[in-house]
Amino acid sequence: MESVSVTRRNFTEICWGAMALPGFAEWLKGEPRDYQPKFFDAGDFEALQSFTEILIPTDDTPGAREARCAQFIDFLLDASSEDARLQASWRKTLSTLRDLGYHAGDVSARARLVQTLAQEKHPAFNTIKQLNAFAFYTSRAGQIEALDYRGLSYNATFPACTHPEHRKI
Amino acid sequence: MNESYDVIVVGSGACGGWASMELAQAGMKVLMLEAGSHISAAEQFHHQCLYDLEFRGRGRPGFLRRYTGTERNYRIMLDTAENPYTTSTDTSYRWSRSRCLGGRTLHWARAADRMGDYEFKAASRDGYGMDWAISYADIKPYYDRVESFIGVSGEVLGLPQFPDGPFLPPMPLNCAETIFTAACGAIGWKSTHRRLAQLTQVHHGRPACHYCGNCVNGCDVGAMFSTISSTLPPALKTGNLTVRTDSVAARVRMNGENRAQGVTYIERYSMKPVDIDARFVVLAASTIENTRLLMLSEKGGLANSSGLLGYYLIDQIAGGGVSGILPRLKGGPARLDDGKSAGITIPNFQNIDKATARKDFIRGYVINATGGQTEYPEYAATLPGYGSEWKKEVKARYVAQARVWIAGGEMLARKENFVELDPEVKDHWGIPVVKIHFTHGDNDRKLMADFQQRAEELFRKAGGEVMPEMRRGGPAGFPGGPGSPDETTATHRMALGGAIHEVGTARMSSNAKDGVLNSFCQTHDISNLYVFGGNAFPSTGDKHPTVTMMALAARGCDHIKENAKGRLS
Repeated sequence: MESVSVTRRNFTEICWGAMALPGFAEWLKGEPRDYQPKFFDAGDFEALQSFTEILIPTDDTPGAREARCAQFIDFLLDASSEDARLQASWRKTLSTLRDLGYHAGDVSARARLVQTLAQEKHPAFNTIKQLNAFAFYTSRAGQIEALDYRGLSYNATFPACTHPEHRKI
Repeated sequence: MNESYDVIVVGSGACGGWASMELAQAGMKVLMLEAGSHISAAEQFHHQCLYDLEFRGRGRPGFLRRYTGTERNYRIMLDTAENPYTTSTDTSYRWSRSRCLGGRTLHWARAADRMGDYEFKAASRDGYGMDWAISYADIKPYYDRVESFIGVSGEVLGLPQFPDGPFLPPMPLNCAETIFTAACGAIGWKSTHRRLAQLTQVHHGRPACHYCGNCVNGCDVGAMFSTISSTLPPALKTGNLTVRTDSVAARVRMNGENRAQGVTYIERYSMKPVDIDARFVVLAASTIENTRLLMLSEKGGLANSSGLLGYYLIDQIAGGGVSGILPRLKGGPARLDDGKSAGITIPNFQNIDKATARKDFIRGYVINATGGQTEYPEYAATLPGYGSEWKKEVKARYVAQARVWIAGGEMLARKENFVELDPEVKDHWGIPVVKIHFTHGDNDRKLMADFQQRAEELFRKAGGEVMPEMRRGGPAGFPGGPGSPDETTATHRMALGGAIHEVGTARMSSNAKDGVLNSFCQTHDISNLYVFGGNAFPSTGDKHPTVTMMALAARGCDHIKENAKGRLS
């Protein structure tokens, strides 16, 4: 059996040492467009970033751009070297978009293609939408600024329901 | 000559912590052995938002496969590569464990519901299985003792099948819970605040809950009951307790006079075996682990004159339920809805007496319901659409989320569900592991089907809109997803063992022929060997088991104290 010796110190190193990975701190601090993709090539990354921003646009609340969803997806896939199937499925997804003309399309052409893929429930659309939603709503921009999540805070009391109408069916 | 104590307590969870405290306070020299690491809340428990975590809770891809936890809390779970187990081919039983100081008390669901004679004497009522060797009157003083110390928030209800205790004020209900309460009233079901070992006021020097909702990742202030927040500090204060972490118990050693001589443990990192002697040995390492230790200690199993050691493994029925939204809450303002991780409880209302008897199944279940905003809107990924309208819909539904789930359904005890030592597989220290045989029976499936109908009835009455694709937690590896501790409250059907309420395998009985333990959790065969935990349960009941295990441990501690004074034969 594999010999395993995991100490508290090792745990800490495993968890927090990863914070020093090249790229991670960079995209946290830098401008979104400064990020150098690790998993995708520049063309695929630009296409992915554009796609995620169509799915979750910036409006009266932040969108995928501010949440840096494409960067997180690239970061996650780059770290998924043990999951060859996952990486292959994403290569195929971007390859499909390229074949459909997404990469070469202008803004309106890209918007039309996204609409078509959504109507078809195309696997490429679903793949990007699912991880994009996760990337967005686990970001500070998505969870706090868009959804106004109140948990993980210190509170003197719990806000009880004070609505008489909720006591009736 | 070996190092010697009055008592060796194996394990530091709910029962191990309690036994160590009570026996140390009684003046006995106690050694607590914990297989896992030392844990300090101040050093290791913090509020961490998902965006504070590098992989947003998922952990580095592949890393968490060996842990039964998330990026936040895997440190208080267990390394499955070090601690494997096997199952028979017909089951997918998932045995969730912790190996660290405090064990599963660090991330338990905190539900503290008493069992009653409705459960202890169920066999006399419906003819299935075996009554417990105690009645509610026997254990009530110990429930009182435990609950008074750990602090349980709740509401007096006056139902015999859901006995009351000395409660702290209940946690307030949020909007969704208030609506579900009204729906219960309209149907005719009694409901109440969930009873939780989570403080609503300062109690024995511990602060009140600050409603962060981070409970399963370790409470940073000790407002929820855990060994390290509650029982360990006063135990250490006596000066009579020695805590030895990273010490993997391997077997109970016997002397030549049918008494336990002590315990052999293996130092976790040096792999060195160590023998310790004691006047009393208390196994409190969790249900299956306790039974494994008895099996490891003697061929055929120590204290197994009945031949029943390992048999009648039971776990409550969990999973199922309904999730969706309450449209009347849709689009409302953001609120701190999940800060208490609570909900309402609907005590069992069937098979209590002749008037409520069902013809198609015996025993019962408890229902929970809650709603409101959660940390992650798991429905977002599958909610149709995209763009700004989709974002608005995600947010509108965010505060209106709602779910009904089964808190605990009684699974019937059957001899064909059992654990044994695997003849081939060993753990990291070369100790044989257990093999688990476990399937549900026909009554279990009928009870679950009935619950599903009732859950849908409640959800409809509350005006809920079902979202079949929605469940708490995300995909596998996500917080709340399959494989994570939060899955205990997920509303999809979960793996066998997913309730993490495994009990049985050394049941109590009034005579040595019908069980391994007596009503004090003392083995029938060896007078100075006690087994605290879920092992003694002849049946699961429909309540979360921890507070009952602790009450049994408290009763057992009184017995040890008397035994130590030589007052018992």
